[in-house]
Amino acid sequence: MAEEKTVSRRSSSASRKKPKKNQIPFGVTLVAIILVIGIALGTKSPTLALFWVTGICFGAILQKGRFCFTASMRDPYLTGGTSLTRAVLIAFAITTLGFAAIKYGYAAQGLPMPGMSYVVPVSFATVIGAFIFGIGMVIAGGCASGTLMRVGEGFHMQLISLFFFTVGSLWGAHDFGWWKYHVISKGKAIFLPDVFGWAGAIAVQLAIIGLLYIAAEKYEEKRKAE
Amino acid sequence: MKEVVLDCFGEACPVPLVKAQNKLAELEVGDVLIVQIDHSCAMKNLPEWATKDGHNVEVEEVDDGEWEVIIEKTK
Amino acid sequence: MENTEKKVKFFDKVKENEYYQRWIKSPLTYVAAAMLLAIFQIITLASTGNPWGVSGVFAYWGAWIYEAIGGNVDKWYYFASSGAQSTLDAGFMNHAGTWRNLGIIFGALATTLLASGFKIKKIKTKRQIVAAILGGLLMGYGARIAYGCNIGALFSGIASLSLSGWVFALGMFGGAIVGSKLLVKYFM
Repeated sequence: MAEEKTVSRRSSSASRKKPKKNQIPFGVTLVAIILVIGIALGTKSPTLALFWVTGICFGAILQKGRFCFTASMRDPYLTGGTSLTRAVLIAFAITTLGFAAIKYGYAAQGLPMPGMSYVVPVSFATVIGAFIFGIGMVIAGGCASGTLMRVGEGFHMQLISLFFFTVGSLWGAHDFGWWKYHVISKGKAIFLPDVFGWAGAIAVQLAIIGLLYIAAEKYEEKRKAE
Repeated sequence: MKEVVLDCFGEACPVPLVKAQNKLAELEVGDVLIVQIDHSCAMKNLPEWATKDGHNVEVEEVDDGEWEVIIEKTK
Repeated sequence: MENTEKKVKFFDKVKENEYYQRWIKSPLTYVAAAMLLAIFQIITLASTGNPWGVSGVFAYWGAWIYEAIGGNVDKWYYFASSGAQSTLDAGFMNHAGTWRNLGIIFGALATTLLASGFKIKKIKTKRQIVAAILGGLLMGYGARIAYGCNIGALFSGIASLSLSGWVFALGMFGGAIVGSKLLVKYFM
């Protein structure tokens, strides 16, 4: 059996013989260009350089980890696999602790907490928006971060979806006033520590993440047994 | 003992995986499915799924950014 | 001439090197990537005062493109705040979020090239174009009315201990199931 496989492999790859071009020099050059851009941005404004560098890091991590938020939501249904779902839950758990520590530090000193603009009203628009976002990312083969990463990997398809993501964003921004007035304003922003207290909020959230992790593992086993 | 080549070049997730699952279901035990992919994510999730499903899997980098996932159906 | 040949040989040797294979070439595990993303999320909040966001930037890209072709968004509620107006006036090159998004593209490109795995993936079928257009529009519109995408609304929302993050997760999960059905039926 093993021999037959070797034969098959040779036959299929020999049919498309192309000279292998080593891309490492291009990679090294690009890293140098990235550094030069970073320095140029830094002389203009340290904030721009910081955003550029963290963007590079996010892109590199996503690509090297083949990390995909789309797959974490889609694969449980489509293939029964939950390894990415569980990885995303781990990321949620760690960030919860880090964010809570930072926010609590500010709150304890009576200072305004950073990043509170991301605690947004929960309304019907959240559900609808998230729902159509979910449909879109599966069809387009990549979420917001995944689309950018795949553009970097050379996908023409995601280049198109990035353009229409931008068009859709503009369209959404155009209609935002309507949504805000009719739907979003009826909702309320809920910051969990306001409801459960700091320790309670962290405990509740980590418990939910933990339960989801266990459920994902059990679900995968069940799907595999079918 | 058939050998089937599935061309998934240019396809992003989850298309290669779903196509491979469907194709593998049609094959007999002992047949070999060769999935050609150029999506780096599929290079990870396709072998992961096939291994978990209990098949013999091998990945070969045929060219820069092109892989062949060789799956031998075992059940 | 000889010099370039030597260089090529050097990089070919690198390609065979065991440490190159292990560190640069092979992918990270999902869990390792998750931890790194979490760490950089925390760094982002600590250093910029806001968590990571991606899709809000696209609204500004859209506005700049729209204004470049003669449109005007100043009267739109979304761009009416003085903060949004000054961001629009400062332009593309001075927008930090734009540089972060470009960074994601270039970071992914860099690791792909360093792993010698880059390849242009051309469009194969018409249905890919339809899927990309439809998917892009749905993501863009959805992200705007839900205050963000899988990063800003989901990842950063949940990390910020906001209920909205969990509600977004539920909606997105439902959408992913419907999307999977549509994909298998029409786009494959």
